[in-house]
Amino acid sequence: MKKDMPYSVLQRERQFSGSDRVTLVALLLAAALPLLTSNILVQSVASQALIGFCGALAVHLMLRLGLLNFSVPGFMAVGGYAAAIAAEYGVQDLFALLGIAFSAPVVLAIPIGWIVLRLKGVYFVLVTYLLTEIVQLVIVETPSLTGGTNGLIGFPPTTFFGTELISGPAVYYTCYAAAIVALFVALWSTRSYGDIYDSQAHNETLAQSLGLDTARYKAQAFPVSAGVAGLGGFALVQLLITAHPLSFTAASSVNYIAYVLIGGAASLLGALLGTVVLVTAITQFSWSGEYSLGLFGLLLIFSVLFMRDGVVGVFTKIAHTIRGRNQLAYPATQGDPT
Amino acid sequence: MSQAALSVEALSKSFGGLHVFKDLTFDLAPGEILGVIGPNGAGKTTLVNVLSNQLTATSGTVRLYGEVVSGRSFPATARLGLVRSFQHTSVFPTATVAENLVRARYFAGRPPQIHTEATELLEVCGLGAVFHRKAVDLPYGLQKTLGLVMSCLAEPKVLMMDEPAAGLERVERIVVDKLVHYASHVLECSIMIVEHDMDLIRRLCPRSIVLEGGKILAQGATPNVLSEPSVISAYLGEALEANDAVH
Repeated sequence: MKKDMPYSVLQRERQFSGSDRVTLVALLLAAALPLLTSNILVQSVASQALIGFCGALAVHLMLRLGLLNFSVPGFMAVGGYAAAIAAEYGVQDLFALLGIAFSAPVVLAIPIGWIVLRLKGVYFVLVTYLLTEIVQLVIVETPSLTGGTNGLIGFPPTTFFGTELISGPAVYYTCYAAAIVALFVALWSTRSYGDIYDSQAHNETLAQSLGLDTARYKAQAFPVSAGVAGLGGFALVQLLITAHPLSFTAASSVNYIAYVLIGGAASLLGALLGTVVLVTAITQFSWSGEYSLGLFGLLLIFSVLFMRDGVVGVFTKIAHTIRGRNQLAYPATQGDPT
Repeated sequence: MSQAALSVEALSKSFGGLHVFKDLTFDLAPGEILGVIGPNGAGKTTLVNVLSNQLTATSGTVRLYGEVVSGRSFPATARLGLVRSFQHTSVFPTATVAENLVRARYFAGRPPQIHTEATELLEVCGLGAVFHRKAVDLPYGLQKTLGLVMSCLAEPKVLMMDEPAAGLERVERIVVDKLVHYASHVLECSIMIVEHDMDLIRRLCPRSIVLEGGKILAQGATPNVLSEPSVISAYLGEALEANDAVH
């Protein structure tokens, strides 16, 4: 809200925020990565970060409503498997597969949301965690469709205007396409309904008392979150060239939640920064063998203790401090003109 | 006889074997300001919760200008025009005052424009000076005031204020008078005020009902109700007698 706006006409805050712009620019710049380096390891880690970003966005969308969502790996599995199965049936076009990977979890999440969104707090957490376990069970118990415990291997490669996306950079750009679509969906959702989500997260009773049908917006956000997760699942399946149940375990939901909390739960930029920091850290720690999990845990404890608002919160504090110093350094701008 | 703004018929609410209130029947006329008083535990706040459909009634019917609102959802009831405010501070903490007001209008399905009288009200209530501050950074009194203003900006047909003066300093309580005046004269809505502040009830409510033990102990003109011996002994005790002696 601009300071000079007369409050006889109040407008909803729906513009892009500064952090949204930074997120968008950062992701657009990430398109140049394969041009800057041909290092396979760097491209692989970057691809993992893009996949993690999709998962983190899915967590972020529900966290904006105050709901901690553990069903992200489940919907990633639905998106990833749907695309892999579609490829087996001859659908190879990137855009079509992105559409399938997004739509399949959305369709599934609509009726599931009708049930699980009646729950709150720890009950919602528990049920969404179990949801991922149920998806795992369904995958394992339907081998004719999903390959069961062996997964789906050897499905035809994805194509982009007829060109097969099988090289390292091509796979990176496949993950990138999923991430950029996920970001635009998340931007649309948070810009269109951010104030509504925020109201529900912080004072749902007040929002309802004023006439907001909060159930409707939860029912809307849950499938969108599922669709975004599905895009991440598609990217993961493309990276691994396999759709396997172990890629989508319920335990992996902790990672996506950690990405958001470490980066900062209040913004999309937090999801991006948290993902980049933790995926990089996990890769670095993996060189330390048996100590890797311990180092990862220490990083999480340090972050929770000293960065309550995440990485974005630290940057925001620094920016406020600098702004405060600047104001002190030029008191004449506000002081007595004499 | 004109149609009641709010008509409550044989309304009951129980939690298992605990009967909070039983067979409450009363009307609120268009434009009327009704006081609801009673000792702690009499069921006043539960009554507001049930009337607004935040809680489901065990039995009974609530009508808003003849339309049955019982059994509707909490938000749907508010959209019909039966809006409540809260005893405690209730704001969107991370949003600015301006954003809180925008949300109140938007969630109630109202256009963003607000009356000139409302802008004046914001100034009088002290919210104009903190328009761009986050609600969480406001002192208690302003947060409470903001919550009350938001319920007014929803432009209800019937406004139920649950202890609007609770927690406010004596000098701040004049804000409640101004809000009630705005709601009554500008919005022309009916108002039900649940309150422990007897001075405020006397000032603002020509008619009152007294709840005690889940039943209506007395109802009628506020001065008469407050002077009834049964009300004095059941709720107000010697404090009011001493207060009356002073007045």
